[in-house]
Amino acid sequence: MDLTSALQRLASYRAKQSRASADIVKDGELVLRKAGLTKLGDEEWAFLEQLALAAIDTGKLDVADDITDGYAIQACLERLAAKFPESPRVDVLQGIRMEATESSETVIRYYNTLLEADESNIAAWKRKISVLKSSGDIKTAVQELSTLLDTFYTDVEGWLELGSIYSSCNQYTSALQCLSHAMILAPQNAFYILEAAETAYSAADIPLALKFYLRVVEMLDEPPTSGTTPSRPEGPTLRAWYGVKLCVRDLLTSTSTASQSESQTTPPSEKHLKLLDELSTERILAAYSPSSSKAGEGPPLGRETVVKWLENTSSTS
Amino acid sequence: MILVGVLRHYVMLLLGSSPKKQSRAAIREQRALVRAQVLRHTSAFSPIPPLFYQALSDHLQAAFATSAYLQPKSTSADASSGPPNPLTDPSAMDGMMDGMKKQMVMMVPQMVMMGWINFFFQGFVLIKLPFPLTLGFKSMLQRGIETQDMDVRWVSSLSWYFLNFFGLNGLYRVILGADNEAANSSRDMMATPFAGAQSQPAMGQMQDFGKLFKAERDNLEFAEGQYIWSGKDVEIRVLQKWSKL
Repeated sequence: MDLTSALQRLASYRAKQSRASADIVKDGELVLRKAGLTKLGDEEWAFLEQLALAAIDTGKLDVADDITDGYAIQACLERLAAKFPESPRVDVLQGIRMEATESSETVIRYYNTLLEADESNIAAWKRKISVLKSSGDIKTAVQELSTLLDTFYTDVEGWLELGSIYSSCNQYTSALQCLSHAMILAPQNAFYILEAAETAYSAADIPLALKFYLRVVEMLDEPPTSGTTPSRPEGPTLRAWYGVKLCVRDLLTSTSTASQSESQTTPPSEKHLKLLDELSTERILAAYSPSSSKAGEGPPLGRETVVKWLENTSSTS
Repeated sequence: MILVGVLRHYVMLLLGSSPKKQSRAAIREQRALVRAQVLRHTSAFSPIPPLFYQALSDHLQAAFATSAYLQPKSTSADASSGPPNPLTDPSAMDGMMDGMKKQMVMMVPQMVMMGWINFFFQGFVLIKLPFPLTLGFKSMLQRGIETQDMDVRWVSSLSWYFLNFFGLNGLYRVILGADNEAANSSRDMMATPFAGAQSQPAMGQMQDFGKLFKAERDNLEFAEGQYIWSGKDVEIRVLQKWSKL
């Protein structure tokens, strides 16, 4: 564990915006202990911000225990505030520090003062909304978030957050609307479509869910070029294939599901449904097939359970 | 001269004011168009189902028709006066002041240098131009030299100054990077000051959002006609891809 490797790791965390807070605190303490601040030059400020956020995240509000010259978190914030006195970014950082210890009313009052000074300070607005949400005031949080998204339409993160709040309140149609905005803003992103599929499935809109699952599969899974064995679906692809299997089973077994689509989506024809059933079964089995496991790993776990489940579902259709 | 150009660039950077803070209403108005554009951008292979697309499209069209996104007008007498008068609208005024300040900075060193050259380097020829010119140019390029028969190709130092002035653009691009102030402003002097100001979309306050919204409504209707859901027949595409069909 030396200084340069710690600095490199921290720089890569900053570049990728990863939330590896425990690691960042460990590396950051090392840097402080070895008086590495001077080595950073201009990056010192980004480092201090990163360290402050990570320390608040892990609850180590006083990163000072065995550091001789006592660089507490408060000292990080003070240094930043001294260097950048009127900065909205530092103000929001102060706000986040307050969130760790103060009551939510105090913090919301603080953010309100920031917003009165500058209406378009998105960071402060978003922090206020997250405090509202975590303190349980969902209604105000939703109102504020909707206003924010009305002004700052292209904020995908905001749309996803609003969608998940609606889902948590079982308002799936509104959640799907929010996800639609996220999807048109980032059409290449299969994860949002997968989330929309899951939301539609939870809302019992099976034909719509099936269509979304199939879109994910279309985007992510590729059949092998001639001759080679099929690849193993992983991650979101596998989840989507499971989704396809479930929806298809539902549509084939019960007659009422097809007509109950709230979004008035027409399901595929029965012939296509049967073919999709076969295809999804094949792909799920391929995920658990011993022959396609990587070298050095054992056979995939859970194969027997999956096979049994697939047989059960097939026999009832 | 090169040094003057470099100096101009840095002075310009210092003079340039920071982007103005805009109120929420102003931001909302500016970005309203983006909503419609984002929707239209993917309409030919849209990720969202028909019902949702229709709802969004209708909502945006209605909002544009009723000017729900426009900033609340402060007083009456706005519909008749067209785009706000630049001299009285404070936000546009700032933009114009900025432009004028920049032009002043440009002009002052140029005049100083021209005067200096005129004073010190008058009355003799400096270089011979590599290309021939007509007689009409003699009065311009040979100021202060009284010979009538001399070839127009011999020119005084003032014309060397002008040549440099226009030619150092390339050199500035190497020293200061592509988008530098020293070179571009020379072109600003050529264009009429107000024509440039009105056509820049950056000075959005002078743009008439009402007209833009109306145009966007028509675009939205057109996009509706183009709309196809990506989920339509997706099962057929997937089955074909995996050779099941």
